[in-house]
Amino acid sequence: MIGTTEFTIEKKTYTIPADRSYDRESHMWARFDPARNQVTIGIDVLGLTALGDLAYVTLANVGTTINRGKSFGTLEAAKMTGNLSTPVSGQIVARNESAITNPALVNQDPYQAGWLVVLEPTDWQAESAQLVSGEAMPAWVDSELTRYRQQGWVD
Amino acid sequence: MDLRYIADDGVSASFGLSADETIAERVGTGASVPTLRLYSYRSYCALVGRFQNVQSELHVDFCREQDIPINRRPTGGGAIIMGDDQLGVALTMPAHVEDTYNRAREIMAVTSAGLVSGLNKLGIDAHFHRKNDIVVDGKKIIGLGIYRAPSDGLLFHASVLVDLDVPFMLQVLNTPFEKISDKEIAGTMERITNVRRETHSQIALDAVRQIMAREYETALGATLIPGDFTEDELQAIHKLEREKYLTDDWIYQTSSIEDTSGGCLIKTPVGLIDVRVTMAGPTIKAAYIGGDFFASEAAVAELEGALRWHSGQPDKVAAQLEEVYLRQREEFNSLPVEYIIQAVQKAVARSLALAGQDQAADSAVTAGEN
Repeated sequence: MIGTTEFTIEKKTYTIPADRSYDRESHMWARFDPARNQVTIGIDVLGLTALGDLAYVTLANVGTTINRGKSFGTLEAAKMTGNLSTPVSGQIVARNESAITNPALVNQDPYQAGWLVVLEPTDWQAESAQLVSGEAMPAWVDSELTRYRQQGWVD
Repeated sequence: MDLRYIADDGVSASFGLSADETIAERVGTGASVPTLRLYSYRSYCALVGRFQNVQSELHVDFCREQDIPINRRPTGGGAIIMGDDQLGVALTMPAHVEDTYNRAREIMAVTSAGLVSGLNKLGIDAHFHRKNDIVVDGKKIIGLGIYRAPSDGLLFHASVLVDLDVPFMLQVLNTPFEKISDKEIAGTMERITNVRRETHSQIALDAVRQIMAREYETALGATLIPGDFTEDELQAIHKLEREKYLTDDWIYQTSSIEDTSGGCLIKTPVGLIDVRVTMAGPTIKAAYIGGDFFASEAAVAELEGALRWHSGQPDKVAAQLEEVYLRQREEFNSLPVEYIIQAVQKAVARSLALAGQDQAADSAVTAGEN
């Protein structure tokens, strides 16, 4: 891990904190707390840029077990409706009720107050290896920004 | 690329929606082939968006009296009526796991291009307009939506208004208007149009469908293979229909976020400005801007469209309206932006106050309010 270094790119600030791991495809972030053996999950800013403003969020109940890549909730954003897929498997031990009642919170503060669920991971060591983190992040962020610009998601 | 092409008509609301979701899910797993479905519903049904509250969006008693089935789409957006004169479009494609957003974007762009091209072929000067609409001179003619299935199959939904009975629609939908008057009907017709109106013809829905199908072939670079649902698919469709689209749990589910409405009428030196907004929590779902100021309906529709699905935060409302003004400066020569900002912010504040989320209300402006 790189502590809390952040990547801020050009005029618009797309901040990708380096203190967590990211799913390459879904742009969900996962922050592991080894002391509690818990993983907090949310959406990163590039994912949110692709979705637009969130209008509705539903989250699975506490106690639900979800496998990596499967849905733990649904959303309606300006650009699409869809499912929230978890970057790692585990059992939900907490969900952010504030994000359900005020989805704009996810857009406003995606890395702190806009978290979605906390999981007790099934196999963090193995599954986190499939996520992007640490030294691989600058290249990943760069390539994703290039792709998003080419596709018109960001300016 | 081969694309199965299914054309079916007079489907029930539950079957139509179940079929679209089923094929999207199966396309994602590889159990079904990518499919373009151009179809129509049995007149009429009322379909709300994925997270809308039926009671807020529809005149439910009227629907029951008129035997109008109500259902809920998997895609987002607003409530619509569908029937013999509205062409449903359901394009289902796999979203490659490593590139989901790319695929979604491509599908929206390409499918919009197919629809726009189809309208152009009909002599209609239509274009894709921000987020989710295809418009003609500022008037909506096609609504668009994307749903991403858990299997990563993507469903692109569109409704092409071949024709539309606006007075009837206003009886079905719960609009921001307090009562349905000739003025409100006229106002709605300034914001929505249809193929027959634009072509000054009585073109049949099937003729529109055939043109759209041909244009899709070009836009997608695909060969359409006429076909139908397989037995396996029909079984899955009917199963989902029974378990979801025919259940009150799905249709009448309510969101944690209540819809609220607010309005504001302000008197300004350039005339009265009447703004009504419908909100989902802090998000503006729909805005109506009227009054006796001077500005083209298309420009006003642009303002309304810019506010749809936009944050209700006062500073973001102001920024969004100012952005539209920058693009359409000439259209708004007689209507200073600050008046519109004031009216919208106040309407939003009132809506939020009703919902008990009145933090924004405190910072909304009140100057000039009547």
